[in-house]
Amino acid sequence: MAWLWITIAVVAVLAVVLVLGYNRLVRLRNETDTGWANIEVQLERRADLIPNLVEAVRGYAAHERGVFEEVTRARAALQGAGSPGAAAEANEGLTAALGRLFAVAEAYPDLKASENFLRLQDDLTDTEDKIAAARRYYNATVMRFNTTVQSFPWLLFSRPLGFREREFFSAGEDTEPPQVTFAAEARP
Amino acid sequence: MTLQEQIRSNRFRSVIVLGGFVLLLLVLAGLIGLVLDVSIGVAALVLAGVYALFAVVRSRSMVARMTGADEVPEGELRPLRRLVENASIAAGLPVTPEVRIVADSAPNAFAAGLRPERSYVGVTTGLLETMPKRELEAVLAHEVSHIRNRDTYLMTMAVVFAGVIALVADLGFRAIAYGGRSRKAGALVVVLAVVGFVLAPYAALLLRMSLSRRREYLADAGAAEILNDPEAMALALRRLELDPTTIRYADASTAHLWVESPTDRVDTERRGVLALSRWFNTHPPIPDRIAALEEAGGFRLPDRLPADEPFAAVMERG
Repeated sequence: MAWLWITIAVVAVLAVVLVLGYNRLVRLRNETDTGWANIEVQLERRADLIPNLVEAVRGYAAHERGVFEEVTRARAALQGAGSPGAAAEANEGLTAALGRLFAVAEAYPDLKASENFLRLQDDLTDTEDKIAAARRYYNATVMRFNTTVQSFPWLLFSRPLGFREREFFSAGEDTEPPQVTFAAEARP
Repeated sequence: MTLQEQIRSNRFRSVIVLGGFVLLLLVLAGLIGLVLDVSIGVAALVLAGVYALFAVVRSRSMVARMTGADEVPEGELRPLRRLVENASIAAGLPVTPEVRIVADSAPNAFAAGLRPERSYVGVTTGLLETMPKRELEAVLAHEVSHIRNRDTYLMTMAVVFAGVIALVADLGFRAIAYGGRSRKAGALVVVLAVVGFVLAPYAALLLRMSLSRRREYLADAGAAEILNDPEAMALALRRLELDPTTIRYADASTAHLWVESPTDRVDTERRGVLALSRWFNTHPPIPDRIAALEEAGGFRLPDRLPADEPFAAVMERG
């Protein structure tokens, strides 16, 4: 009789642990989903600003066709990126292309003084700040989720139940945990 | 301790403290039931619940009035709003809190609101005139993480609970004083009840204080995490510490809300004389908070603060 009760108790405790663990994994995964949605919103906003910016510069420097094409290509690459890692890479590509566009703009004082251009530049800076903020949140949630999925005892059933590690939003192979090392991110 | 561990242990503590409030309330109701009558004990609990509900519903507008925080017209102070937006995106808040301005030259900030969706961050004009962008961001992130951690909720509840406990203890005390007691209760029980009624409000106060001081460390750690920059928070704290001005709206009932305690400066002078006063401070001493950040972030604060331009000047230039 005693054995029966002990067995029942053990099974009950295991069931509770399993349910709690499962809920925890679901919660952490939802957090990464929200974090990723936040990044996508800001990336979309950035991509939406590009055509107007290109038009603004074209009005003053129509012959700089190479730069415009490069920026347009980089924008398309960002919108076509399938994974967080690829999106981060494409986003950096866009930053590089925009750098060249702004370098071209430097040569046209009228353009630099135009209200439209200044506002676009301001919006772009704001969006870039927000991408950086959304990235910090997303990477922190991925860090928490991945650590849980990889650690005992969750790793026993996380994979069979379809919980797979998420990708960090960072370019290249650098997948080091971004939140643990504080000085990792250069600040203005 | 890593930041994650710190956050976890702080969460655990606050659950204990809130549990302590409930326990204290139950003990008081039990004492009333024992000394007077069970039905009166139950009635006291019901009364406490109704009072608590009323106080919670009224809390948002009350805090705004007590701190003197004004709403900012649409389209003004956009750079400041952007900083709050960025901090709440990095904190993973679903909705950006409103920004309110307190016309006061002392640098300080607070967060209020029961639910994260209806919260706001109050900032003094003095804060904008003192802090460079990097440190201002840290202070805003500190307030945003109060909102994210549901501290604003918890602190409102703590204030309400402390009030309820004072009310119930007072009722019980009066009931005994006016001679209403059941025949079954022995003298020892009555003495015990009286001692309980007298001490309960102080116990509630202590619980509330320990809660809010823990929360400050947690919000500092949260700000460091949100910005990925613990040094910014430490610099901001050092600047607040060095600033000699004290907020005009300093009021014991809202002291726990601010990033830097508006009333502690008075207490510091007393501390040597009366070590006990430290227990009743709403905030931990700033040097301790800086030390905690230095340990978690693995850095040493420089002796001199950066002489960067205050954010108000940056905003003015546009």
